[in-house]
Amino acid sequence: MGKYYDMLAQDIRLVEGLKACMNCGVCTAVCPAAEFYNYDPRQIVVMVQRRDDEEIEQLLKSDTIWYCGECMSCRPRCPRGNTPGYVIQALRTLSQKLGFFTESEKGRQQLALKRLIGDNILATGYCLTPRNILPELHPEQGPVWEWIHSNDEAIYGRFSDCYGKEGAGALRAIDKESMEEIRRIFEVSGGRAFYDTIEAHSDRKAREMGYDGATQEYMMETYTLNSENHY
Amino acid sequence: MSRRASWQEYQKDIAADRYYYARSCIRQNFFPGSEWAFLDILSNRLGIDIYDDPLHTSCTGIGYHSDVVPLETIMTVVARQFSLMAEAGYENFVSSCITSFGIYNEVLATWEEFPETEERTRRYLREATGRELVKPRSIAHTSDIIFYQREAIARKAKHRLINRHTGEPLRVVEHIGCHYAKIFPKSGIGGSEFPYVLAGMIEAWGGDVVDYPERRHCCGFGFRNYLVQANRGSSIANSHKKLESMAPYKPDFIVANCPGCAMFLDKWQYTIAEMDGMAYGADGKGIPVLTYEEMAGLVLGYDPWQLGMQFHQVDVEPLLDKLGVEYDPGAKYLGADGKYIGKPADAAINCPSQRPIYERRK
Amino acid sequence: MAYRVVVVGGGAAGMQTAIELKSRGIEPIIVERDIELGGKARGWYKLFPTFTHAREVIGPLAQQVKDMHIRCFYGQEVTQIAPDGVTLRSEERIPADAVVVATGFTLFDAHRKQEYGYGLYDNVITSVDLERMMIGGRVTLADGSEPKRIAILHCVGSRDEKVGQKHCSKVCCITGVKQAIELKEMYPTADVFNFYMDIRMFGPGYEELYREAQERYNVHFVRGRISEAAETINKRIQIKAEDTLTGRPLRMTVDMLVLLVGMSANYDNVKLAASAGLALAPNGYFKARDAFLGVVRSEREGIFFAGTATAPKSLADTLAEASLTASAVDAYLKEKFNIE
Repeated sequence: MGKYYDMLAQDIRLVEGLKACMNCGVCTAVCPAAEFYNYDPRQIVVMVQRRDDEEIEQLLKSDTIWYCGECMSCRPRCPRGNTPGYVIQALRTLSQKLGFFTESEKGRQQLALKRLIGDNILATGYCLTPRNILPELHPEQGPVWEWIHSNDEAIYGRFSDCYGKEGAGALRAIDKESMEEIRRIFEVSGGRAFYDTIEAHSDRKAREMGYDGATQEYMMETYTLNSENHY
Repeated sequence: MSRRASWQEYQKDIAADRYYYARSCIRQNFFPGSEWAFLDILSNRLGIDIYDDPLHTSCTGIGYHSDVVPLETIMTVVARQFSLMAEAGYENFVSSCITSFGIYNEVLATWEEFPETEERTRRYLREATGRELVKPRSIAHTSDIIFYQREAIARKAKHRLINRHTGEPLRVVEHIGCHYAKIFPKSGIGGSEFPYVLAGMIEAWGGDVVDYPERRHCCGFGFRNYLVQANRGSSIANSHKKLESMAPYKPDFIVANCPGCAMFLDKWQYTIAEMDGMAYGADGKGIPVLTYEEMAGLVLGYDPWQLGMQFHQVDVEPLLDKLGVEYDPGAKYLGADGKYIGKPADAAINCPSQRPIYERRK
Repeated sequence: MAYRVVVVGGGAAGMQTAIELKSRGIEPIIVERDIELGGKARGWYKLFPTFTHAREVIGPLAQQVKDMHIRCFYGQEVTQIAPDGVTLRSEERIPADAVVVATGFTLFDAHRKQEYGYGLYDNVITSVDLERMMIGGRVTLADGSEPKRIAILHCVGSRDEKVGQKHCSKVCCITGVKQAIELKEMYPTADVFNFYMDIRMFGPGYEELYREAQERYNVHFVRGRISEAAETINKRIQIKAEDTLTGRPLRMTVDMLVLLVGMSANYDNVKLAASAGLALAPNGYFKARDAFLGVVRSEREGIFFAGTATAPKSLADTLAEASLTASAVDAYLKEKFNIE
């Protein structure tokens, strides 16, 4: 008993995030996710605190750990100095390392996040860029965004001399050498390996689910599917 | 608001000059005029040295908080930014993004508390880039800088936050990005419960700050809760809750110090109006949502289109009229070469036919 | 000639100790910082669990001090303590054969829990403010109207490392029950909610009163700590907690929020302890020599404790302990002077 807890305890966010919980509920009280989802950060912290392998494994494979928005509203309130948001980060990291994230609908979305945000970082040096905020994937952005997206050079050009080009200014292209450094940082610090882990486990799961691997189609399925079983 | 004496307990030392500027992914995407204005106000209006380095990258914070970028990786990326700053001859790091601001503070605190993580980061950085980590002397958010300059800006003000038709102060809702002070209350001016960073600006420039029950609630972004389409219901529900809570106070505008919050509180008003016909704001045309750079820029007399306010989904013109800002309505839709590039399509939120929510409730 | 003992503090503990010492033929001197005797209990209306008026306890004690001609210094602050006497802020020294530290506690300052908006929102009050209103004969909202829905929050400044108060203040749970009943008697149709983490009913009759609050007065108990309070546009208070027994977040609007403020160690314990060579517990209270056999003795011979100088206690426990203190002082003096 305690195997998974020991793995979690390797993560400094668990060490920092969980001292001892007395179940007061101030975290859940202000949690934006708890209000929307069937979700209770206090109970997650208590589950981890119990150190029960079976229970933690279930948690790592569940939708539950993926509801949190990491706003950290829980952090300044806890009278015991815990940070449920950090506990969640440790759980999510472990769930991905072990491949358990593919066992839940919300967990499988990590593939979409890896491709949409993660890959964009390695391609452009930014988490997001105007051209990858596609209006068809972002109807909520409204007509003004559509207008900007389809006139990007003309519009951003008003604010930056180097939109998409090297130089100093908004949305400049990041120079080749800096991009090389970022990619090497991902290599040596385990970022690239972590991406690969997400891809590999997603590929396995996709095949299990009848897809031809972690295809674009499978990725879009994780990006759009909402079974409505979360509330 | 003057009763909020507690803010005095949370003041931090901010360097007065010589800043290294780190841009924000979201701010440059959605508010490129704000980043331009910040640099212009500091360099050209206040005579402060701020360096816009072409070499830094994203801090990867959105990836980190989407749990795809590991802690070790983001620490090394952050270390690279710090090294670039030192190499450029600066030691006061200023972040345009709130997520990044939280990350920078958190990484420094983690290195402090777990020294082995700093050692590991130094090793990775050396191996990947050949650079040496040099820690900054100070970390500030760009809103901290404007806060410290609020009196200087007030002295140069062309407009005050006063309704020129009524002579009354404008009612302003301030929204603070969660990662500004919830992670480290001492890192924010005024702490996490009653942050004063934006309230101080509003007061200095003549406006009234609105306190409302959901003031401290998250805008709803929640990283994966917005970034993945299937989860966006969670994101909009939280913005909706805030808008509902502030609506009875009839705010003239919202100002946020986090680029994401400013964008979401703006865009979700459009979405809510499209979804169920609810339009906030006294005239049923939405509540304009400003960045603090835009607010400062208007006070200083900048042109609203130069500030990038055409990026907003909720039209800002009614607010500009209240402030007495002169603007060329047509210039809103001009491209870099000064040519008209067409208009965005109409949306429910921009149509005056809507009745304001609190009137319909009666 | 009688032995002389300086009692630092003229609250319940100090008065009772002095009375007991005097009746044993010892000459006590009370040094009180305030201008009259009685301590914190003077600001209290009725006492748990019997609803006895606080003045019916404090009054007779003060009268007895007077009747027994016990010397009292008023408006005098002790700055240094030693087994052979104390020094006042005026630098006057009062020599003695032993000293009793009965300096009590400090009420937790509710402003420090900024998330509750005390001092900012008019209808957020403390348990002490409520007692003051009850002494004044009328409990109302800031605008003078009657509260219809009231929340009482336990553990404000207790069990909270964020404000450096890791300890339980012990008396707030039962105070919350008592005040809920008093509010229900005043406003029978009002809804009164106690937000608690644990209901710690440690004294005789306390658990029974808790039950009575539920059974007879229909006071509601919600297991969850309030996370934040905010004012609504009509000056009501919106609170957020989790009902931890159902595991769901709970948002509620009340007319009045009462913060049960805890007991903090006095700030000047640090200086006093340093002057006397005494140890403090991690929570800032004076440290007793032994948790079982030396609860009223300090680590220095000749310096004793009574009441809440060492830990939060109820008034009943304080009075009982004060008698024990007097007996320990008596034994100490007898031993010391018979041997010499």
